[in-house]
Amino acid sequence: MGAVHAKSMDPLPMHGKDLGVNPDDLMEHPEPEPDAKQEILENKDVVVQHVNIQGLGRTKEDLLGYEISDVFNAKNLIDVMKKAHIARQRLLRLGIFKEVEVLIDTSEGADALPNGLDVTFEVNEIKRLTGSYNTMVGNNEGSMVLGLKLPNMIGRAEKLTFQFSYGTKETSYGLSFFKPQPGYFERNLTLNMYKVTGQFPWSSLKETDRGVSAEFNFPVGPTSHMLKWEGVWRELGCLARSASFAVREESGHSLKSALSVCIHIFTPGLSLLIRMSILSIELAGFTGGDASFFKEDFELQLNRRLFWDSVLSASLWGGMLFPIEGKPSCIADRFYLGGPTSVRGFGMYSIGPQSEGDYLGGEAYWAGGLHLYTPLPFRPGRGGFGDLFRTHFFLNAGNLCNLNYGEGPRAHLQKLAECIRWSYGAGIVLRLGNIARLELNYCIPMGVQSGDRICDGVQFGAGIRFL
Amino acid sequence: MHQGKTLLRKEGRQKLQHQLSAQILKSSRPEGFPAAEAFVSQMAAAEPWPENATLYQPLKEDQILLSDSASSLAVQTYLRMCGLPVQVVCRPNAEYMSPSGKIPFIHVGNQVVSELGPIVQFSKAKGHSLSDGLDDVQRAEMKAYMELVNNMLLTAELFIQWCDEATVSQITRHRYGTPYSWPLNLILAYQKQWEVRRKMNAVGWGGKTVDQVYEDVSQCCQALSQRLGTQPYFFKIPTELDALVFGHLFTILTTQLTNTELLERVRSYSNLLSFCRRIEQTYFESKDS
Repeated sequence: MGAVHAKSMDPLPMHGKDLGVNPDDLMEHPEPEPDAKQEILENKDVVVQHVNIQGLGRTKEDLLGYEISDVFNAKNLIDVMKKAHIARQRLLRLGIFKEVEVLIDTSEGADALPNGLDVTFEVNEIKRLTGSYNTMVGNNEGSMVLGLKLPNMIGRAEKLTFQFSYGTKETSYGLSFFKPQPGYFERNLTLNMYKVTGQFPWSSLKETDRGVSAEFNFPVGPTSHMLKWEGVWRELGCLARSASFAVREESGHSLKSALSVCIHIFTPGLSLLIRMSILSIELAGFTGGDASFFKEDFELQLNRRLFWDSVLSASLWGGMLFPIEGKPSCIADRFYLGGPTSVRGFGMYSIGPQSEGDYLGGEAYWAGGLHLYTPLPFRPGRGGFGDLFRTHFFLNAGNLCNLNYGEGPRAHLQKLAECIRWSYGAGIVLRLGNIARLELNYCIPMGVQSGDRICDGVQFGAGIRFL
Repeated sequence: MHQGKTLLRKEGRQKLQHQLSAQILKSSRPEGFPAAEAFVSQMAAAEPWPENATLYQPLKEDQILLSDSASSLAVQTYLRMCGLPVQVVCRPNAEYMSPSGKIPFIHVGNQVVSELGPIVQFSKAKGHSLSDGLDDVQRAEMKAYMELVNNMLLTAELFIQWCDEATVSQITRHRYGTPYSWPLNLILAYQKQWEVRRKMNAVGWGGKTVDQVYEDVSQCCQALSQRLGTQPYFFKIPTELDALVFGHLFTILTTQLTNTELLERVRSYSNLLSFCRRIEQTYFESKDS
């Protein structure tokens, strides 16, 4: 058992709290007295006199003060239990405790009030070093992921993580340092250092990124903001000898130094699908590096529950890339469209400008989808496994092209509106937790332009982000 | 054959015969040509040489190094000798665009071929060849001399560029990183330097000093000079050997390094000097208006 720390509070001052830590203050050892009075505290007014945390080792007390201070505001027993529960959740979300137990007891000691309560949080700190080993299976590849984590490194919920992934197609590793602001866990700073390799057979391209990034997250009301600076050394190469010359011309090294802002507006609504919007803006080239562009990307999703347990969902994605100073854009920065996770019925990222079968991506795109999710017909396995599956009718449309920036916005809109690819169909969706999704659809692609690769008929998709 | 014997002492005659017969055996198969490339050259034979063939090399003014410039000039000379039109395009990432990582490479139709050896084979598949008039022994001798130039002159150029501290710090590192911004220019230059030094160690040049390398260059030039003698070309007609030797010697004569040692060594062989001048006048000055 670690040291016991006691915080003692008298009536709250109006302007704030004074969290003085006095380690040699009253040491609370709940000792049962043989003739202890048993008081039944129902919905009486109570005062929380002491809040203790037992079991601390390397965690600093000032960090925890913010999380548990609200318990002092409780006025009656039910309130104490609620606030203690919330405080327990807050302590757990710091990620530094294995378990947290709450003990509420009447006050003991010389200054105990008749309606005084003591709340004790018994915590169990996570070990200094934890490791994890997973195997992952992706698209025609398998990989082994080894993770090493040092949680709560210096005592204020900092976390140092090292992850190494070794697979049949790529090897990547990264080191990441996470530091939340004491008292405001949602405001945090992350520093990353990584090397990632990727293979993109639709463009016959392979890319190796070695980079560092610094990320600062903070919430503003219902929105979550992220400010990031990233410096990446990118190395592009041809995946095969038969890569087109347009892709071969992009081979080589480049340095991207970019500032980006990402705003995530999250309004939880329905249980199945969440209303959200994401806007992300990236500006490269003003802090050094070769790549020089302004890129913005947005995602909108709206859901509405209809009759008979079905949900109607509409989503819209779009983005634009403006090269600055006349430098042509790099294939690694451009947008790609198509596949089971965006415009269904088309091959993976196989819409838009291409050269000899290699897709080069485009500088502007939009994609929209309209979906109707219903429970499975005849509702097999209702109440259990069957609830994870939904039937799904969809209509997807989108376009990807390069814009001629000399012309005005009207010409841009016109270019994006011509040659629209669209598709419709139906299928089955399986939700995996709240994160991933598996889909099996029958698709009918339409509006196919020359050069696009289609996948009409049955198409399988697995992923996290779906149109 | 007779000239070749004077290179070695009398007791080395057997060694030379063995070397030449080994070359003859090697020359019966396309050199350095895996099966896939042989198939590609079969397909190449179907189309004639187009008008828009392009040769890619690094930027001429700021970036290209001695060894790359020499190799590129050798290929350009060879193509001019064959009468094949090619346009020279400079790209900062030419080295990474090349399928083998070496400069120069040509883009003909939808084929990409790099380095002189494969380019010679490629043009032969299209029906253009300079060494058809040679018999087997002469062809083997030509290949032996080309190997000599590649193993001696090209390696010496790489050594001086990347392993001689003065040259590396004053010229090479700066030039190699020109197209990139900081810190990528330093990272790539050091990475390349490390790679070349490893290669030098692998071929046994790791322990040499710059003076020893200059000696090797002199010996190579002496061998070439003796073979050339007073003839206009190494063989009766201009061949790829002439193109290769011209490419390297002309570049050495016209490139400014930290000192003029290399230049002086080459210049001391007057027949090589006049050989370079002759080829320049025949193939380059007449074309430029």
